Amino acid sequence: MIQKIIAGTINTLITLAAISPAFSQNPAPALPQSKPMVLTGATIHVGNGQVIQNGVIAFDKGIITYVGAAGSNPAAAGAETVEVKGKHIFPGVISLNTTVGLQEIATVRATLDFAEVGEINPHVRALVAYNTDSEVIPTLRGNGILVSQAVPQGGVISGSSSVFYSDGWNWEDAVLKKDDGIWVSWPPFLASSFNYDDFSVSTKRNDKRQEVIDLIRATFSEAKGYNAVAEPASVNLRMAALKPVLAGTANLYIRAEYAKDIIEAVKLAKEFDIKRVVIVGGDEAYKVAAFLKENQVSVVLNPTHRLPGRVDENVYMPYELPGLLHKAGVKVAITYADEWWRTRNLAFLAGTSSGFGNVTPEEALQFVTKNAAEIIGAEREVGTLEKGKHASLIVSEGDILDMRGNVVGMVFVKGGKVNLDDKQKRLYEKYKTKYGKK
Amino acid sequence: MFKPLSTLLAGLIVSFYCQAQETFPQNGAYDERPGRFAFTNATIVVDPKTTIENGTLLIENGTVIQAGKQVKLPAGAVTIDLKGKYIYPSLIDLDSDYGMPEVRRERPAGGRQTPQLESNKKGAFGWNQAIQSENDASLIFTPDAKKAADLRKIGFGTVLVHPHDGIVRGNGAVVTLTDEPANKALLNRKASAHFSFSKGTSSQTYPSSTMGVVALLRQNYYDAEWYARTPKAKEANLSLEAFNEIKNLPSFFETGDKYSVLRADKVGDEFGVQYIIKGGGDEYQRISEIKATKATLILPVQFPEAYDVADPWDADVISMSQLKHWEMAPKNPAEVAKAGIPFAFTSAGLKNKADFLKNIKTAIEYGLTKEKALEALTTLPAALIKAENQIGSLKPGMLANFIITSGDLFNKDNVIYENWVQGKKFIISPINAPDIRGTYSLSINNQPGGKLQISGSADKPEYKVVVQDSVKITPKAVLSNELLTLTYQADKKVPGTTRLTGWRNGTGLSGEGVLPSGSVVPWSATLTEKFQQVAAADTAVAKIKETGPVVYPFVGFGNEELPKSETVLIRNATVWTNEKEGILQNSDVVVQNGKITKVGKSLNAPSGAKTIDGTGKHLTSGIIDEHSHIALFTINEGGQTSSAEVRMSDVINPDDINIYRQLAGGVTASHLLHGSANSIGGQSAMIKLKWGATQSEMLVPDVKTIKFALGENVKQSNWGDVARVRFPQTRMGVEQVYFDHFLRAKEYAKSWKSFNGTSKKVAANAPRRDIELDALAEILDNQRFITCHSYVQSEINMLMHVADSLKFRINTFTHILEGYKLADGMAKRGIGGSTFADWWAYKMEVKEAIPYNAALMYHEGVTVAINSDDAEMARRLNQEAAKTVEYGGVPEEEAWKMVTLNPAKLLHVDNRMGSIKAGKDADLVLWNAHPLSVYARPEFTMVEGTVYFDRKKDEEKQKSMQLEREKLIQKMLSDKSEGKPTQKPQATQPKMWHCEDIVGVHTEHEGTR
Repeated sequence: MIQKIIAGTINTLITLAAISPAFSQNPAPALPQSKPMVLTGATIHVGNGQVIQNGVIAFDKGIITYVGAAGSNPAAAGAETVEVKGKHIFPGVISLNTTVGLQEIATVRATLDFAEVGEINPHVRALVAYNTDSEVIPTLRGNGILVSQAVPQGGVISGSSSVFYSDGWNWEDAVLKKDDGIWVSWPPFLASSFNYDDFSVSTKRNDKRQEVIDLIRATFSEAKGYNAVAEPASVNLRMAALKPVLAGTANLYIRAEYAKDIIEAVKLAKEFDIKRVVIVGGDEAYKVAAFLKENQVSVVLNPTHRLPGRVDENVYMPYELPGLLHKAGVKVAITYADEWWRTRNLAFLAGTSSGFGNVTPEEALQFVTKNAAEIIGAEREVGTLEKGKHASLIVSEGDILDMRGNVVGMVFVKGGKVNLDDKQKRLYEKYKTKYGKK
Repeated sequence: MFKPLSTLLAGLIVSFYCQAQETFPQNGAYDERPGRFAFTNATIVVDPKTTIENGTLLIENGTVIQAGKQVKLPAGAVTIDLKGKYIYPSLIDLDSDYGMPEVRRERPAGGRQTPQLESNKKGAFGWNQAIQSENDASLIFTPDAKKAADLRKIGFGTVLVHPHDGIVRGNGAVVTLTDEPANKALLNRKASAHFSFSKGTSSQTYPSSTMGVVALLRQNYYDAEWYARTPKAKEANLSLEAFNEIKNLPSFFETGDKYSVLRADKVGDEFGVQYIIKGGGDEYQRISEIKATKATLILPVQFPEAYDVADPWDADVISMSQLKHWEMAPKNPAEVAKAGIPFAFTSAGLKNKADFLKNIKTAIEYGLTKEKALEALTTLPAALIKAENQIGSLKPGMLANFIITSGDLFNKDNVIYENWVQGKKFIISPINAPDIRGTYSLSINNQPGGKLQISGSADKPEYKVVVQDSVKITPKAVLSNELLTLTYQADKKVPGTTRLTGWRNGTGLSGEGVLPSGSVVPWSATLTEKFQQVAAADTAVAKIKETGPVVYPFVGFGNEELPKSETVLIRNATVWTNEKEGILQNSDVVVQNGKITKVGKSLNAPSGAKTIDGTGKHLTSGIIDEHSHIALFTINEGGQTSSAEVRMSDVINPDDINIYRQLAGGVTASHLLHGSANSIGGQSAMIKLKWGATQSEMLVPDVKTIKFALGENVKQSNWGDVARVRFPQTRMGVEQVYFDHFLRAKEYAKSWKSFNGTSKKVAANAPRRDIELDALAEILDNQRFITCHSYVQSEINMLMHVADSLKFRINTFTHILEGYKLADGMAKRGIGGSTFADWWAYKMEVKEAIPYNAALMYHEGVTVAINSDDAEMARRLNQEAAKTVEYGGVPEEEAWKMVTLNPAKLLHVDNRMGSIKAGKDADLVLWNAHPLSVYARPEFTMVEGTVYFDRKKDEEKQKSMQLEREKLIQKMLSDKSEGKPTQKPQATQPKMWHCEDIVGVHTEHEGTR
């Protein structure tokens, strides 16, 4: 009956949890990989479209050393080989644009650390607020989410994001990529207001946006000036924080949803010769796909499990959107945005994009693995299962994009085997005890 | 620009005939005149059906003496020759605020406010500030000279006025638009009673929703009835007293849209009142239901302006329904008339009152007959306020309220010259203005000054000065009493204005002018060519303007023709029966007359059946969403701790696009719940998702349920410090709310039982009917079933104990995210659990929610459903159900039942829904893949044998919508290029709701459950 649990190779864990009911913290992170590992017999979804039936993957010291057909790998001395026949191995799912680690309970202000006060805050960093002890994080890895980008919100320039593994002692330990980019919110082209007389919502042209656009432009042009001076007389943290973006070593993430916002945002970035521009949100990105492709701008989408933006829009547009952009040659990643705990369903967003769109499951997988890795500039470490990359992978009963197959039995982060226990499983076990089901 | 100076002076001309204030002292000598006038040689439209050519109208002392061909003129009658002119009875507006104090509604501040539980109106009035039965229009009526003049200008003579404030607004008064004192103007003190769904200036929190308004109004009727028959009522209540005085008057209900019209009529039906209903101008969208109300309508004539659609991306914001309404709104009066629905027109709501007749003329271009139009402005409104022997026609004895016009009132160029009110003349436009139209050669200072062209209509001439051959200048012109002033800049490049003033001199003009240089010069204009009327296109057979079709519902993806129930054989599918047969491979299902008739292998197609190949596909019963807030206009009546009296069925919105979207996700029925703002919410409504059908066709009336709620929402813990007033604020208080209400309901039920048990029932002894306690008594009587919003185990246990001790049943705990902790208690009591698959962390009380909840409850024997509470999640409930397999190992077949058969059981409709079995409703979905798979999508969704969503037809619909849209946009663009006014693109749609939403308060997505 308890298919998910029995399916994997973590029976020992359950026993452990059962005998230690007082064990209420998150489990200890994985220890560094101590000996070479070989997983053999599974279907390996490399993440670049390639699928290896009956494959083998080997890794050592946290790095993938071999991926190929079963039996073809050179045996490594002292390697532990695990037979995972019939199972599926996937690269860890990468969840961009989240508040994971920055918020715990939405209505409890003391647990919210993702929105700073003020409009121009490029200097605030998600890095240091990321809480590895969040009880949400272990629930994510159980569904294959191994990497999360923690992102500040609020204001016009919200701050900088960092990318973390879903396993680690503290933020210093869990971080995969520090300060990978600065987040800007483009003022939306349309604004909505509520009408008290008939309980309706009106959407019309936002007349207050030009001053915000002017503010963004002024900030970037002054930052450019500031950073042109090698050692400014007095340090301005805000201006200095924009340097990596202007220098092309960090991303400029611009939240923009309407077609006109997207074009204006990209054009402004080009005006300052900003190299790494990513559009976030992108509800209407399909209207400007050619423009995005031409300017080599990637898109990080809002949750695609949403309703169409307009009443007359194709009912399935949000589901089809990632595929439409992909087919138009735009690099696209799907996210759950600020819905932190829901990110555990991220792979299902990709699945839906295949079920309702014109892309194969292997293509859809890239929306939450390879593409995401490339967008954050971590493609040398994560995103696909290729030699030389981090051995951060999941072993599942079946297709992780489908609820029917997403039954994760083993997770490795940088080669270390992760304890898949979480608070919810402990409560599950506790109440099975109540009902005598154990 | 031509400005008739004479009208500005009209107010200064004092006339003294027909003074009627006998009791008033007079300053100076009395001046009473007989007011005897004879209007001869006129075309007299006595009423819409009677026209006298070349007739005479005789009036005396403010009253019509006679209108006819042969009228014997008494000695001393002042005769006015109206050769070629028309006389009409003056117009009547029944929805006027003329002479009423301005209703100032404070814009509610953003965000949540501290509730105001009691009325701010001091005195012995009713408990609710929005019930203002005591308002008497005649007492607050103050004539307003300027507004009266504006209304007279567009032909009105009499109006029914009332203060437009509140749900019960008191009585209306009939007044004329004279400039005489109010004593003269007031014709009928108490002519009508007035109602609306808007609480107006009331600052009291209750009601905060439309269904709350309905409940309050219903209760008010019952209370008034009780008050009337209870001489020793414990309270003096001036509002109820006043209500009893006005409730039998002609009753007017102001609404703003088609569904409110239907809702108002439904309230009236309950109390034997046929309201006269002011509509919103969209009646054509649901004409047969509107007709079925048998209500007479008051129709506004404000038609939407075209949108500025020049920018295609901006234009995207405008919906199909807005585009189509723009096109069709002018046709509304014609459609209402065609349906045989009686109606009167009102000028209410017009931004510019001067557009009134213009818009009625537009309505005539769209097929409204002139006779109907006139009827709607005269005899019909007069009859509605029982004033048909006073106003609305020109029969003997009627008030001398009439207008003199240049021609047919509804002709394009018609001019209203005079508006007589109670025998008193008001000049609108000079009746015998000289026709100075023609082409003149202009001479200034004896030098040629170009040409002066005067065209347009005789009453509203248009002027052009042509200085060179091609340069046309439009001068400013004022013509009055044959005096003409022209000012213009003769040379665009040289600043300076030429000013000419002059008079008619034979066929020409002459006078004196001042040039920019300051020199004073003579000028003249000699007629060179008489004005030639350009022959108008044959107006006699003017073609009725055409529009696109009405679609049902009136939004994108609506159907021109509603799909029909079909006989269908679905062949060779994998059939998920939800019955003991389980999942049948390669099986057939036959659908006839909306029901499943056969399930089996190799079935024969009944005659006329459509055969659908189900090979490789999965056929299931339709998804039933146990917790939904789609298709509703409002959701929470949060004004009180208990709102058991409100009914979600009062606010069903069949136009919600989410109905179609859910169909596209395989949903066929939704249980529409009240929100979770209070411990005892409102009565729920279950609908079948029959896209395009009417409210009553969608409603499943035998489902009688009610929403309760526990936890953070009812104790208002996430609403900020402003919300620390309403009881309860703690889980301790919640328990007492239930005890208190159910104990009262028990007593209430008992008093009715004892009353009904008496052999000789005297109506006067009946208990006061209380619709809130009615609902609770139904629960105690096991006639109404509770769905309770719930999260933490302590309070859930509490409610189960309360129910046990007071002997009522909890039917379903919804959300029930900690159901896993007390599943045994639920199973023991037969309480169902309707939950989310994996939601948590969005607030404190869901901290311990786990995705294994459904599985643990299931394994304990609880009937478990997976619901959405969300229009988005609802359209992939199959995916949510699948998670119960992933988390906790529910068998797939059982998981599927959690979104089909189990919610049907919880709603007590499993006898007809929820499984594939002969005899059950044919609510079916054909999936392209295993229905629990993320890759599954519906090929079609059928409700009672009718396919409401079809994947291929959906694609065709998108294409045809694109074409229709472009057609309408092109039409708008041509309006714009013709210089018609346009408005900026703006979309308006009803808000989409979640559990916790309170009117006007934005809550974050995560905080809504």
